[in-house]
Amino acid sequence: MSEQQTYFDIFGLKPAFEVDRSALSQRYRELQREFHPDKYASKSSREQMLAMQYATRINEAHTTLRDPVRRAAYLLSLAGVEVSPEQTTADADFLMQQMMLREQLEEVRDAADPAAALDDLADEVGGLFRAEQQVFASAFAGGQLEDAKNSLLKMQFLSKLQRQVEELEEDLLD
Amino acid sequence: MALLQISEPGQTPEPHQRKRAVGIDLGTTNSLVATVRSGSTEAVAAADGSVILPSAVHYSSEGVSVGAGARARAAADPYNTMLSIKRLMGRGVADVKSFGEQLPYRFADSDGGMPQIETVAGSVNPVQVSAEILKVLAQRGSEALGGELDGAVITVPAYFDDAQRQATKDAARLAGLHVLRLLNEPTAAAVAYGLDQGEEGVIAVYDLGGGTFDISILRLSKGVFEVLSTGGDTALGGDDFDRAIASWIAEQAGLGTDLDVKTQRALLDTACSAKEKLAIEESVSVSYGDWRGTLDRAAMAEILDSLIDKTLRACKRALRDADLAVEEVGEVVLVGGSTRTLRVRERVEAFFGRKPHAEIDPDQVVAIGAALQADVLVGNKSGEDLLLLDVIPLSLGIETMGGLTEKLIPRNTTIPVAKAQEFTTFKDGQTAMAIHVVQGERELVNDCRSLARFELRGIPPMVAGAAHIRVTFQVDADGLLSVTAMEKSSGVSADITVKPSYGLEDEDITRMLKDSYAHAEQDMAARALREAQVEAERALEALLVALQENGAELLSEKELDAMERAMEALRLAHNGGDAEEIHERIEALNEVSEPFAARRMDASIRRAMQGHTLDEFDQ
Repeated sequence: MSEQQTYFDIFGLKPAFEVDRSALSQRYRELQREFHPDKYASKSSREQMLAMQYATRINEAHTTLRDPVRRAAYLLSLAGVEVSPEQTTADADFLMQQMMLREQLEEVRDAADPAAALDDLADEVGGLFRAEQQVFASAFAGGQLEDAKNSLLKMQFLSKLQRQVEELEEDLLD
Repeated sequence: MALLQISEPGQTPEPHQRKRAVGIDLGTTNSLVATVRSGSTEAVAAADGSVILPSAVHYSSEGVSVGAGARARAAADPYNTMLSIKRLMGRGVADVKSFGEQLPYRFADSDGGMPQIETVAGSVNPVQVSAEILKVLAQRGSEALGGELDGAVITVPAYFDDAQRQATKDAARLAGLHVLRLLNEPTAAAVAYGLDQGEEGVIAVYDLGGGTFDISILRLSKGVFEVLSTGGDTALGGDDFDRAIASWIAEQAGLGTDLDVKTQRALLDTACSAKEKLAIEESVSVSYGDWRGTLDRAAMAEILDSLIDKTLRACKRALRDADLAVEEVGEVVLVGGSTRTLRVRERVEAFFGRKPHAEIDPDQVVAIGAALQADVLVGNKSGEDLLLLDVIPLSLGIETMGGLTEKLIPRNTTIPVAKAQEFTTFKDGQTAMAIHVVQGERELVNDCRSLARFELRGIPPMVAGAAHIRVTFQVDADGLLSVTAMEKSSGVSADITVKPSYGLEDEDITRMLKDSYAHAEQDMAARALREAQVEAERALEALLVALQENGAELLSEKELDAMERAMEALRLAHNGGDAEEIHERIEALNEVSEPFAARRMDASIRRAMQGHTLDEFDQ
């Protein structure tokens, strides 16, 4: 597992946005069965050290590949396009839509039935997020890296909003 | 390849000889040790037949006593009897003051680091107290297995932060134990159940002990336990139940709130026994002094429900972190003595909508799981059938401008994990910088737990902002943090000094080891020699097994010869009496065998990659 091997190489996957989640977790377990430090508990200290490094890299690869935003950013970085988390999209319609969704989020607490209002919002955000992933997948597959990058910027927005929805859900539970 | 004749009879053990390993549950209230013997896993009893060792240590001018005898002294001699010491592990003086009056100890002034408790036998710290408990358990284990222990798995609450884990590991070191792994208690419990019943699917482990609460959500698939999320509270448990009931009694009996230590302790004992009786009876009569009253299940439910609510909120959060709905949980496992309280079982059953497992004694299930894992790690089993993938329980971050936390590794990330971060200098010619590492979920550094301050030195002087220092934070499979740093343009590795916020430094442990031998230099030297010999045996054996596996295949004759000579030198040193010499030879052997270790790993990688073509995953 050299530094040159990509996360996709490690998992024996093609470098594409669509990833078979069950194949990913199956391969993950196979790899950890081989390299987890527990498998080296009675080996030499050097081998234990190497095992920790490999297991760390396998975990890093797994975390990246199973998360759509990280996976998309990783694919772009392999293609030489870097996107920082602070970067933002210039699509005015999209930004307007985001502002409205955020307002909706702020109003949830005051709704007659906050739980139901939040559910609706969660569904809407979830739908938008999935649709944007489709956009990214086809842009990237078609080699339209600029479009893919713009799509990733939107995915970052939507994933952040999704997290905020979840946090509010947690607050409402308490 | 005839060169592989190694072992001198009676010196190094045969590689495949059965090893002596134990699992230890070092609990807040009770501790115990378990082992795998002739195929069955069971807790080890003391000479008097008792399995549970109360986590109580009593100090007197005559010496130290541990267990039931020590606990019995608590009411009469509270200042010298250490109970629930686990709550203080890895904690600072300020934390301890915040749970102030709950702890009847006299804290000695210390320099803001680890708290020191004054006893008639001098001042002691929580690591030393825990080491006393571990020594008794280790002794039990080694008597049961008929010889010196090769290793131990010690369990910790999943929610323990780095400082608490490190303190536990330090205590084990002080007790002379070789720690194979720190294992999270809920994971251990799942292992105990999973291997017995061959389950597959999602398991929730609800662990309510004397002083801590943990909830873990795991997925079990073909012998791999993957921890999906974990949560809980390091300061919530059955002791809080006792306190809530005790203050109810105090209120009913009109005792007021300003109670002395002996009254507090007596009330707690009364409360605890009422709680235990209510697991069997519908109602119990309670008396304190002249006051007499009745406590029934409904009244106790009322007293306890707000505490139980806290645990269920943590369950919800853990499910969310695991991205699962409550309906997807296939099995619920109860761990910890406090799950004997009926109200807890009722509420857990109602929450998960299924009857929880409690077939294995909830006081023993953790130690049993730890013993199973210890047996695998020490090499008694091939281990093909069991692998534990655990997570970091609390986010790890660093302090940035304005006392804010920047998260580097979010909670519930599978370990081992590493994260590299780049820093730059603020001033021209700056050659040092400090990094403050914290653990917790809050935005302000002051609301998180301070783990350590790292000082980077030896940065080459450059103009401000020109130096790029890459700092790597590595969390190992025990959940313990280590930090390395490198200046990128010059490739100079910066020196790091760690100042653990509440922990011990190596010198502290050496000093405490010395103290524990009451200045007997000879004992100290004998122990150092024995430790070095054990380490040498371990190194030789690991290499021997490795050479037999693929030494001929991966090494040239010349390399093999060099390794043979290094091994022979170590064997000679081992039989001599100089600990220093042994350490030097081990280091030398490590150096010679380094390329071999790397080649073995590469061979494993080739093997793991074989038979996996891209097409296989396209189906």
